[in-house]
Amino acid sequence: MIRVQRAFAVVLCLVGSGGMARAGETGLTPAGIDRMIRAEWKKQKITPAPPVDDARFLRRVTLDITGNLPAVETVRRFLADRSPDKRARAIETLLASPGYVKRWVAYWDDVLMGRAMRPMPTVDRVAFRQWLTEKFQKNTPYNQFVYELLTATGQNSTGGSLARAAGMEMPAMLAPFAAQETGDPAKVNGAVNWFLKYAQTPADLSGAVSRIFLGVQIQCAQCHDHKTEKWTREDFRRFTACFIRTRPVPVDLNRDQPRGIRRFELRDIERPFLRDRPRFGGGEYASATPAALDGTEFLQSPNRRRALAAWITAPENPYFAQAIVNRMWAHFMGRGFVDPIDDFRPSNPVVMPELLQKLSEDFVAHGYDLKRLIRLICNTQTYQLSAAPSRNDPENLYWSRYRLKPMGPEMILDALITATGMEEGLQRVAGTGAEAVKAQILRQLIFLFDVDEEFEQKDFEGTIPQALLLLNGSLVNNGASLLPGNALAQVLALPGDDAAKIEELYLRTLSRKPTAAELKHWQAFLNAPRTVVRTDSTPGAGRRLQRGLGGPVRRMGGGPDPFARVLARARLPEPEPKQQAFEDLFWALLNSSEFIFNH
Amino acid sequence: MTRYEHNGMEPHGQQEWQEQPQQEACGGGCPGPMDLFTSTIDRRGFLRVGTGGLLSLLFAQWLDPRAACAQNGRSGAARSCILLWMNGGPSHLETFDPKPGTSTGGPTRVVRTRVPGIEISEYVAPLADCTDEMAIIRGMTSREGNHQRAQYLLHTGYAPTGSVTHPSLGAWVSRELGDPQADLPAFVSISGPSIGAAFLGVQHGPFVVNNPAQPPQNIAYPRNVNKERFQIRQDALSLLEAQFAAQTGDPKVQGRRDVYSKAIRLMHSPRLRAFDLTEEPTAVKQAYGDNNFGRGCLMARRLVEAGVKFVEVVLDGWDTHQDNFNRVARLGGIFAPAMAALIRDLKERNLLDSTLILWMGEFGRTPRINGSEGRDHYPQAWSAVLAGGGIRRGIVYGQTDETGARVVHQPVTVPDFFATVATLLGMDPDKTVMTPIGRPIAITEKGRPIRELIA
Repeated sequence: MIRVQRAFAVVLCLVGSGGMARAGETGLTPAGIDRMIRAEWKKQKITPAPPVDDARFLRRVTLDITGNLPAVETVRRFLADRSPDKRARAIETLLASPGYVKRWVAYWDDVLMGRAMRPMPTVDRVAFRQWLTEKFQKNTPYNQFVYELLTATGQNSTGGSLARAAGMEMPAMLAPFAAQETGDPAKVNGAVNWFLKYAQTPADLSGAVSRIFLGVQIQCAQCHDHKTEKWTREDFRRFTACFIRTRPVPVDLNRDQPRGIRRFELRDIERPFLRDRPRFGGGEYASATPAALDGTEFLQSPNRRRALAAWITAPENPYFAQAIVNRMWAHFMGRGFVDPIDDFRPSNPVVMPELLQKLSEDFVAHGYDLKRLIRLICNTQTYQLSAAPSRNDPENLYWSRYRLKPMGPEMILDALITATGMEEGLQRVAGTGAEAVKAQILRQLIFLFDVDEEFEQKDFEGTIPQALLLLNGSLVNNGASLLPGNALAQVLALPGDDAAKIEELYLRTLSRKPTAAELKHWQAFLNAPRTVVRTDSTPGAGRRLQRGLGGPVRRMGGGPDPFARVLARARLPEPEPKQQAFEDLFWALLNSSEFIFNH
Repeated sequence: MTRYEHNGMEPHGQQEWQEQPQQEACGGGCPGPMDLFTSTIDRRGFLRVGTGGLLSLLFAQWLDPRAACAQNGRSGAARSCILLWMNGGPSHLETFDPKPGTSTGGPTRVVRTRVPGIEISEYVAPLADCTDEMAIIRGMTSREGNHQRAQYLLHTGYAPTGSVTHPSLGAWVSRELGDPQADLPAFVSISGPSIGAAFLGVQHGPFVVNNPAQPPQNIAYPRNVNKERFQIRQDALSLLEAQFAAQTGDPKVQGRRDVYSKAIRLMHSPRLRAFDLTEEPTAVKQAYGDNNFGRGCLMARRLVEAGVKFVEVVLDGWDTHQDNFNRVARLGGIFAPAMAALIRDLKERNLLDSTLILWMGEFGRTPRINGSEGRDHYPQAWSAVLAGGGIRRGIVYGQTDETGARVVHQPVTVPDFFATVATLLGMDPDKTVMTPIGRPIAITEKGRPIRELIA
């Protein structure tokens, strides 16, 4: 153990400070964080952006904590509230909401499983999400969450439809045709599905563990020793050797259900250290001595995986806390102390290392409480700056303005559905099919909006297919159209003049009230003369090719239209000019950068 | 999400998950009739008619597509590339490296081809007339026997490492050969998602056509929108965008505007008709084959004609652990006529010299025939085919032993294969680009082009 601590002490030099937190020693406050950052601004002669206004703050913090837009009523109440602590209270409410759990389950499902992961019949993503949900519902301390994940044993699934591999429940109407769930839920530990993802590739697993939980890209040393960095191939082999005694054992011996999820039980081969024979999966790592990054060897440990997990999550381990603090800071502030978030190394400079150190110590001292960390960050004045330009911080390294963040696919889908009231409309006409329609849209969105979770997009511009989806796709177009029960129908049914309706559309999309200039502009827009465009219901419309300028505009639909069924059942009134003007305003709001970015 | 049927994990031999069989496109009814009126207006006609249009400004940069194709100072002869991707790992023994009369050859018979001495499997007989345009590589060898890893390897040239995601060949081609001002994407993938551009940036990622019988998604105005209304919407949006850009002063907002402009330019591009197969005569469509792969190959030809730089066309179903011979016979009946039609068609249009065709999958199949009349994964020795632009034609390169298990002459590693392809396309195989974590990544992993394959 002495050796371990000495090794840690060496590592601590990375973040430029000594000494670890003892419980209760620190009590970092948002104001304390702001003081440190302001001092840095002063040193760098940085002028920060002005504070963000209430409406934009609420939208931002709601998106960051729950992944969805605030409800119109919530915005109105928040704006009317005159109490000085309303922002802090809003943060508390969000942390206690079901949206918090939903958001962070989705976040960790992305980080661990990957958004673009090809479905594997051995990985039950539904069970994995259920496990995550339990953890976040209980606000499980982060060290415990990681320890349980890294040491998980048990069965992956109760079996059932392969749709679960893609993280989808089979729609009830199709359930009779799907493979049945036969397993005993009590034996299932959803966490093992993460290991099963890597069952054939222990090197990828150890790389992911090191990268995600320690912020160290040790897997770079998989292929070659780095000239300038500290890790060697041998370090990587020894780290990977910690995982090769973990094996999935099949539960279903007969193959009566070839199309279902395949059940495995994850087990460790527990025995004193013996050199493993090179074999399937273990391969070149079998002969290595299992060890942690600082050289701590697990030769004597009967269960090397548990030994490693204990090392990773130990309070003395400096990598562990700083990696999660950096990750969370980057989530809220748009950029971490270290960037990319999972690449701590001597040659990658840390911005304000002393603040990272303080936050890490505070995080450890307060029981690895993620909600506390979020509360600390969101209550800072730094987090509550506007996205307007700042001075002398061109790359915004010092968080002197809020960084525009593009929404991911799940967030865009949720925001679009919330803003357009599509949920209600879907329920009304599609009934139980609504979930299936949503799942179909989500697949399309994920396909188009996917960015590899390992790469943070530096300069988000989006892609052409994404732009086409928002310009012409049925989700936005039908969402902005007047359909029974949807948002526009509700807005148009409101009492009041055009101004009241414009305000309502703004609150639904941008979560703010329109400015006087905007109101004036849109009032004129709504009442300008225009020709009504009737829905083209020609047979074959949507199948033919559009011919560009000059030629008759022909339609080219392509792909399944998840709303076709919904629209077919809806009885649409004859459109009026003003109604179409409202649709166009709504459409523009949904396509706007102010809507698509978290700002 | 993905239409690839394979997963990365087969802990117990051949257990595999296969999705529902790929749905063939609806035969009749899908494509609309040719529009005789517009099809008689030539491209310049479109421009003239269009200059009065509201969106004509977007066409300012659009000139003759052939002008964009002509690039100076590039050594390779090929200017575009079509990858025919055989997903699942095609059996070399039933395609381009048959071993009749041996213990491992199975019932497969061979046919003679136009080039004396080159024999190929009966299942790919329609290509016998085209071997004079092809270079058959029989010595492909790699070490990845897992679908997911091998698919990555054969799309990017690198084995997956976990530390960095590599760009696919199509993304490199888009970056190196693509014209940023072109109104069609430089990299199109048909019937499969291909692999993305990673750190090269999303603008070099594949534009995916899910179903070649239908045009790309979301390319047309919605059904309740016409040209005028589309413009009203654009004007309304411009106001919001200008305001937000002024408030934030953030270049990301302008970046997003640029992508929207490109999308709108694509929507209104006369070259969109490259995606419309209804313009093709019935005889041509029949030559390529009345199936999605055939249609994909036909679309690939049209896209290359329109200036697209890299087209991937996917044929799935090659993971023949069971019933190998019947299944390869069926798959051969799909791809061989399509590939032969593609080669002939490009030649007739004088495009074969400037178009490199690649035929390959992620690995070969075991010489040993298993108990289910199948063959399992086999990366040690397998075949790939080059055709068209810049290659030495009418040759076989490399040789396996009499069982097809080992490469005994002229082995070709994946890095060398990629270096050869890069060279043929006029790209420097050693050109590097920095990743976000500051690591230089080259187009190929220290590969060296094989001179014998280059004319």
